Amino acid sequence: MDCKDLVEKLYFYLDGEILTEEERKAIEEHLELCRKCCERYEFERLLWEMVRSNGRNDSIPEALISRIESVIAQF
Amino acid sequence: MVRTREDQKKVFQELLIPELPALFRTALRMTRNREDAEDLVQEAVTKAFAAFERFEEGTNFRAWIFKILTNTFINNYYRLRDRQKAPSLEEMEEETSFQPSFEGVTPEEVLLNTLTREDILRAIESLPLEFRAVVVLTLIEGFSYKETAEILDIPIGTVMSRLHRGRKLLQKLLWEYSTRKTPLEKENEKGWTAKTL
Repeated sequence: MDCKDLVEKLYFYLDGEILTEEERKAIEEHLELCRKCCERYEFERLLWEMVRSNGRNDSIPEALISRIESVIAQF
Repeated sequence: MVRTREDQKKVFQELLIPELPALFRTALRMTRNREDAEDLVQEAVTKAFAAFERFEEGTNFRAWIFKILTNTFINNYYRLRDRQKAPSLEEMEEETSFQPSFEGVTPEEVLLNTLTREDILRAIESLPLEFRAVVVLTLIEGFSYKETAEILDIPIGTVMSRLHRGRKLLQKLLWEYSTRKTPLEKENEKGWTAKTL
């Protein structure tokens, strides 16, 4: 696997999607050997983790849960 | 399996309640408005219960109810004015160049250290709907590509291409927000988001 291949497959690797076990292993081996790709991987991993955790940070208003429960009770 | 209405309500509620926080978050990202988000969730729940007889027990309730939520949003909330207000994809995808502003610090480090929660949510909510829906369902709510394809009723290849472009657009917006900040703002915000991880 070269750097170009890795960049093309990086998002699939981060998402745990599509790739075969062999492809995942090849990516991991490349990351151990290539500092530039390793830095790119770390940046992408941190960025999307930041997006995920901040995007999940809204709590549902208690009043909405009560509202839904009373709607269900009326069905 | 024949159930009494009361049994049906009980089963429905048991499946629904754990999903409510994620349904509300997704509604919030879609409508960009708390009041509309609350109404959208209530409407989706009402529709879901009306269709619950057709839900096959043992199948993916989470994907099923998210599909109802996104369809309800597109049919009832995504008004013409929202479509007209949205910037064109071409405008959004125009290349921007990013120059590092601190010596010895990579632009990536600057970005990760200066982004705030507000930046991230504003960027997500600025995405055109077709990209926003895929980004929210996969990156934030953790649905697989296949589940997202089923929820949005689009081919899995379309999910992959929209997610790729959605990520690129998000990165572009986040770079822009980061570069617009003054060095003082950057210094004040350093590490803010790291604490929320």
